[in-house]
Amino acid sequence: MTVLAVRAGLLLVVLGLWETVGRASNPLLAVPPSAVLPALRDLLLLRSYPDLPANVLLTLREIAAAYALAVVAGLACGFALGFHWLIGRAWGPMLAALYAVPAVVWYPSLMLFFGLDAASKIAFGFLLGFFPVTLAVLAGIRQVNPHLVTVARAYGAGSLTVFVRVMVPAMLFTLVGGLRTALALAVVGVIVGEVLGSKRGMGALINHAYGLLRTADYVALVLVTLALVVGSDVVASLVERRARRWNE
Amino acid sequence: MASSMAASRPPLQRRVRALQLATVGVALAVWETAVRAGWIDPLFVPAPSAVGAALGTMGDTALVALGETLSKTAIAYVLSVALGLAAGLVVGSVRLLREVLNPFVMALYSLPKILVLPWIVLLLGYGTAPAIFYGTIHGLFPVTVLVMGAVRDVDRTLVTVARAYGATTWQLYWKVLLPAIVPSVVAGMRLGIVFCLLGVLVVEMFAGVRGMGYVMSSFANGFRAPELFAATALVSAASIAIVLVLDHVNERLSHWRG
Amino acid sequence: MTAPARLIAVESVSKRYVTSSGPVEALHDVSLTVSEGEFCTLIGPSGCGKSTLLGMLGGLVYPESGRILVDARPVTGPDPGRAATVFQDPGLFPWRTVLENVEFGLELAGSAAARRRSIATALLGPLGLKGFAEKYPRELSGGMKQRVAIGRALAIDAKILLMDEPFGALDEQTRVLMGEWLLDIWRRTRKTVIFVTHSLHEALFLSTRIAVMTARPGRIKSVLELPMDYPRSMESPELVALRAKLWGEIREESLRAMQ
Repeated sequence: MTVLAVRAGLLLVVLGLWETVGRASNPLLAVPPSAVLPALRDLLLLRSYPDLPANVLLTLREIAAAYALAVVAGLACGFALGFHWLIGRAWGPMLAALYAVPAVVWYPSLMLFFGLDAASKIAFGFLLGFFPVTLAVLAGIRQVNPHLVTVARAYGAGSLTVFVRVMVPAMLFTLVGGLRTALALAVVGVIVGEVLGSKRGMGALINHAYGLLRTADYVALVLVTLALVVGSDVVASLVERRARRWNE
Repeated sequence: MASSMAASRPPLQRRVRALQLATVGVALAVWETAVRAGWIDPLFVPAPSAVGAALGTMGDTALVALGETLSKTAIAYVLSVALGLAAGLVVGSVRLLREVLNPFVMALYSLPKILVLPWIVLLLGYGTAPAIFYGTIHGLFPVTVLVMGAVRDVDRTLVTVARAYGATTWQLYWKVLLPAIVPSVVAGMRLGIVFCLLGVLVVEMFAGVRGMGYVMSSFANGFRAPELFAATALVSAASIAIVLVLDHVNERLSHWRG
Repeated sequence: MTAPARLIAVESVSKRYVTSSGPVEALHDVSLTVSEGEFCTLIGPSGCGKSTLLGMLGGLVYPESGRILVDARPVTGPDPGRAATVFQDPGLFPWRTVLENVEFGLELAGSAAARRRSIATALLGPLGLKGFAEKYPRELSGGMKQRVAIGRALAIDAKILLMDEPFGALDEQTRVLMGEWLLDIWRRTRKTVIFVTHSLHEALFLSTRIAVMTARPGRIKSVLELPMDYPRSMESPELVALRAKLWGEIREESLRAMQ
């Protein structure tokens, strides 16, 4: 209870500071919350950016495509690495080494290859989402209690039965966590891609507002984008909770 | 038992190494053939041989740009480790602070920071300052989150023992909490360096006039694929090398773990 | 023989804990005195507040009412100069070697490196840890870990040794051997020991006095004097009779605690 109160108080203090500093500074550089609200209203009523829905939709479609690809490829790659011990031993460390490279180094090449449109964003979102899925599958496979597999085999289960009845339920927890991280990263990938160079999508609108020094519009667009990000994570956490309940 | 394990180890290691080398070799060969046979347009994906040649011709310019990027990263890194360690220690060890701030820290950690990048550039201009700032906030959160969690999870018995033996607050931090979280700090440092480098590269790509990120995006815009691929390889190699060094340090520092 | 000086006085101490399911009275009006050089054991059913009482003697837990005097001075906080505590979990610092763990208390007290090293090194022999000075805790067995923890307590040379089920996590055989070892250490150092245990055997084998505590809220049910010489044979008629008496009292309380 006190914790919630302190949290709320802290938020109010931050908002208050923002308001004070925002009013005192150059309106091109900083806008107080009181100036953001009208901009947000104009944005949502489609007065400032009438093409907002189309751009939101494009960004969401890019995210969906990137995520779907990441999940499919990540699962395939993870199971291939996890079940073939030699390939796993050889490629696992190579994959981990790639993970030690900041992913954004690949973005210029993707832009060169796929162009400035949606494809390069999907590719970058895919790239970011792919790793957590693969790593979660690998971690999940390691987590399966080998004794349970032995027990199932002793009761006459075949490979497929062992996989469906023993491995998948035992891995589910880790796997679902990885899928959630992957979604968050696919979202980040698409947005980073859009901000770094695009003609359409939320990132493009943000760049447009910033380029014209329409700072209030910029903040409003950032808030809308954050809502998309948070919304996607809320959906993912609901799915995660459902999966956990099923697992118990 | 031990001798049979030792005897079986070299062949296994060798097979793994062989497969790794073969993977790289085959990939390069297929790639080279594909470009030469005209299956892939060299305008977009240059042959490995062309990338190698570009690496040679770029030479000094690339190294200068890499040096600029890495020095910005180094400053951002020192700042983010120092600030992240301090913040993580304080927030992690004071229960009220931890409970109040945890959701905010997690939110700041996971939300796409690129959304505030235009504003940072607006405030700090084009130059090294926004890169260092953005690199720092990128590296700060992973370090803070790991340290916070580690401090929270320090074995309570150790804290009780220290209290029973009359430890002062300073001694509690210096002799118990800090040594106990060393592995997490090093893990955070390993994660943090990649995040810092990422932050610096993003700023250089977005609003840079120098550095590897700028060089790479101008290669991309100029359709200079061989140079772009060579630059990408160079940055990746630098990053992997840094992480390997940190891994080595990690092993040295946590010899007491089983 | 002159009567030994009274060292510890627990004066009608009570303590309640606030838990999510309401307040729980851990100790109710507990009084106890311990003389210098005694080996006093607290025994009783689980949750009877033995550990709370020990925590109070160490200054880690504060009584709600009543007070605790050591050397006629009230205990207001942890003071390694007064009492050293050994916990059930050895609580060794995993990044410190055996020697460094033994030195811990001296280091906190600011004693010079050479001095604490020589004190700790001299202790390794009696601890049975010669040759293990540079090992890390993960390389030790459970019994050895607990001996390091006891060494850490002995190193600061406080008058009082507080031991909270120190052998509770060990297997039966190790436990018996550790008991014999502790007896030897105690007889050599003449510390005043307050020892919490669940084990009748340990209590009878080691103590000069046994305080039986009641089920929650903890009170002192009875105090048994054990004037017999060491080492004791558990088959001697006196001890067999005492054992039966002690078991009778504990059984009664344990049954109450189970309800």
